[in-house]
Amino acid sequence: MEAIKYEENGQFHSGHVACAGCVEALALRVVLNTVGQDAVAVVPPSCTAVICGGYPFSSVKIPVFHTTLESGAASASGVKRALVAKGKPDTTVLCLAGDGGTYDIGLQALSSAAERNEDILYVCFDNEGYMNTGGQKSSSTPLNAVTGSTPAGKLTRKKNMVEILAAHRIPYIATASPSDLNDLTDKVKKAKNIRGMKVLIILIPCLPGWGVADDRAVACAREAVNAGVFPLFEVEDGTKYTLNVKEKVQPVNSYLAMQKRYRQLSEEKISAIQADVDEDWQRLMDKTNGR
Amino acid sequence: MEKMPSPLWTNSTSLERMTGTWRNALPYYKNLPSPCHGACPVDGEIAQWLLQVNKEDHFGAWITLVDNNPFPSIAGRICHHPCETSCNRTNLDETVGICSLERFVGDKALADGWAFAKPQEERPEKIAIIGGGPAGLSAAYQLRRRGFQVDLFEARPALGGLLRYGIPAYRLDKSILDQEIARIIDLGITTHLNAEVLDAKALKKLRENYDAVYLATGASKPKALPGLDYCADYVLDSAEFLAATNAGEKCELGEHLVVIGGGSAAMDVARTARRLGHRVSVLSLEPDELLPAQRAEVDEAKEEGIGFICSSMLKSVVAGDDGITLRCTKIDFKPGETRGAFSMSEVDGGTFDLTAHAIIPAIGQDADIDRWTGMLNAQGPVVATDAKWQTETDGIFAGGDLASMDRFVTQAIGMGKHAAVAIAGYVCPDQVVSQPDKGAEVPYKAINTAYHPKEQRNAQAHLMVDVRLQSFKEVQLPLPEAEAIKEAGRCFTCGTCTLCDNCFLYCPDVAIKKVDGGYTVDADYCKGCGLCVAECPTGSIAMQEES
Repeated sequence: MEAIKYEENGQFHSGHVACAGCVEALALRVVLNTVGQDAVAVVPPSCTAVICGGYPFSSVKIPVFHTTLESGAASASGVKRALVAKGKPDTTVLCLAGDGGTYDIGLQALSSAAERNEDILYVCFDNEGYMNTGGQKSSSTPLNAVTGSTPAGKLTRKKNMVEILAAHRIPYIATASPSDLNDLTDKVKKAKNIRGMKVLIILIPCLPGWGVADDRAVACAREAVNAGVFPLFEVEDGTKYTLNVKEKVQPVNSYLAMQKRYRQLSEEKISAIQADVDEDWQRLMDKTNGR
Repeated sequence: MEKMPSPLWTNSTSLERMTGTWRNALPYYKNLPSPCHGACPVDGEIAQWLLQVNKEDHFGAWITLVDNNPFPSIAGRICHHPCETSCNRTNLDETVGICSLERFVGDKALADGWAFAKPQEERPEKIAIIGGGPAGLSAAYQLRRRGFQVDLFEARPALGGLLRYGIPAYRLDKSILDQEIARIIDLGITTHLNAEVLDAKALKKLRENYDAVYLATGASKPKALPGLDYCADYVLDSAEFLAATNAGEKCELGEHLVVIGGGSAAMDVARTARRLGHRVSVLSLEPDELLPAQRAEVDEAKEEGIGFICSSMLKSVVAGDDGITLRCTKIDFKPGETRGAFSMSEVDGGTFDLTAHAIIPAIGQDADIDRWTGMLNAQGPVVATDAKWQTETDGIFAGGDLASMDRFVTQAIGMGKHAAVAIAGYVCPDQVVSQPDKGAEVPYKAINTAYHPKEQRNAQAHLMVDVRLQSFKEVQLPLPEAEAIKEAGRCFTCGTCTLCDNCFLYCPDVAIKKVDGGYTVDADYCKGCGLCVAECPTGSIAMQEES
């Protein structure tokens, strides 16, 4: 059995208010411990903001700056430039956002920061919806998923954020999953040592938002990776694609079956999801093979 | 005036917040028994020693092994390994090759000369053990390491019983046997060879001179096949044949031998005869797929060119000038509900003749109970004992084939161990150990197989058939160290914590702390999500509601 190798060094505290079994808290724990003490976090409204904060307490050992939902990447850019001006160019600036702050409301600021190639490490905890406000759809919500604002299932597919970012030709983009903490750790380490804009998108199965049992979030993320719904890969300089999990080994059915947001899907809708997954996978394979 | 803290900044960590109050169940660590442990006749801590092999702590593995079984090299060769049948991994791909790993550890101990630790204290109580086979030796070992004075009486000129006189060298090399026995005797056991305890009177006298007696004289009386003239010169009983050939003596039996029986002893006879140049046919009541011998033995026998005539029964024998004719008939065999029970009927028109030169019946042995008339009573075909292996005569315990129909070597070793524990408690009540309830065995569904990718087991190498037929060299070849470590790594380690840190590193609430030799749950913060349980690769954590 391969041992999990991220090092716990006290960067994240107990007592935060994430739901029991929340793997966003787990992913945050891994990211913070891997980045280490010499870092500053900028956090727009999101579950992460709640997990880090709850004034006057903090669950995070590094300084955290809570900013507005539309300005995560812009604020992080400013913090980084201020640190450089103060003679601290090596301090890592993290922007810890949700998918609402990344795919939707924060996209303008993110695109601008990417275009300027700001030296920040932007981490998107992607739970595919506005789960902190009761579970509304975002542009990251996948096809046919039920949310508070898509009661009959979302009619359109999930926005392909990696391709948008790749079009900016930033140095590093990667996807990661709480089911593979070594891959996540390696990617954080790698990103930390790259100058310029880095974006990490971590899939976060949301227990109440997706309707997943308290102890099943890691298993759900694992199914997503195995089914090719959420492939683990890296894009360097916008063009060089590397797959970290070489193949998808199962159809989407068991992944869908463990989530209430896909409850009572017709065979037709399941086939539509499978077709999207297959198409995206093929597209990714083509890019990996330089086509 | 005191400086006011800035209202913009947090002033404390979230540790002020006791999120443990959210919880309705708390994880707890419990080493639960693995299915292999439950199946093991000697209660071996298999998950534990496989983990030690995988961590390359071979000495530690040996210490764990010999706590329950002083014969890992022997068991690693000939055990019927019910552990492998019960292995949870069979649900994923294939069982862990436990038996071959036991041999690896046992052989490593012999090669490196590891010796048993001497008893920590010497006790005055004297125990007599009658019978130097696997049960007697196992009991002697367990009693001696507890400090008792042990006298071992063996009727034959050498120790080992069935291991020496029944199991052929191609399955168990005699030097292995000698070394593992010597290691036990070196603990300070007094042996009396060629010392047969003849009858009830002699047994009574022994009982008077010792604090307790353990009787493990095996099953020495061949079962008789009805209708077969055992006095005829073309009939030789299997036990006699194996004892003679194991001692290197020749048996003049002619070219073609028919072995009657389908168990391990029949395979031993057939394969021994094959190595001595005979043409061999096995005649069994059971159909091929129900032969009681281990499947590997049957397969290897077939590889060696032994013919199998299954679902068949001998009716009569006609002796001719050049050999004999066996009148046989095909039968319809139906297994019964208990092991060994069956019913059968002859198939109409199924008679056939078989020509041969000699017959070796190998249909099993009975315990010689009559010898103890007046001291011990029978319970069916074996000596009557209670749950603690004590006979109806106070202070006389019995085990092995004499007291049980579970006729496997490792069953006998396990019985010897259990009797030794009972004897220790009998002669010295302060040594009574209560068996704690170990809880239910870990089921397959408790194992998170995401951490155990599919991987076929090692293919244990075998000697080439033509080499086998020219010698009595061991057929099964040892596992090289690198392969053994890899194979041990296939173990799920069901129910035994491997200190992998998964629970510690997966907890979203940082509520699991490392403590000396394990982990503890911080109840102040644990929200009771159960992720640690779900991501435990060994099934050694469980959730428990709090009262």
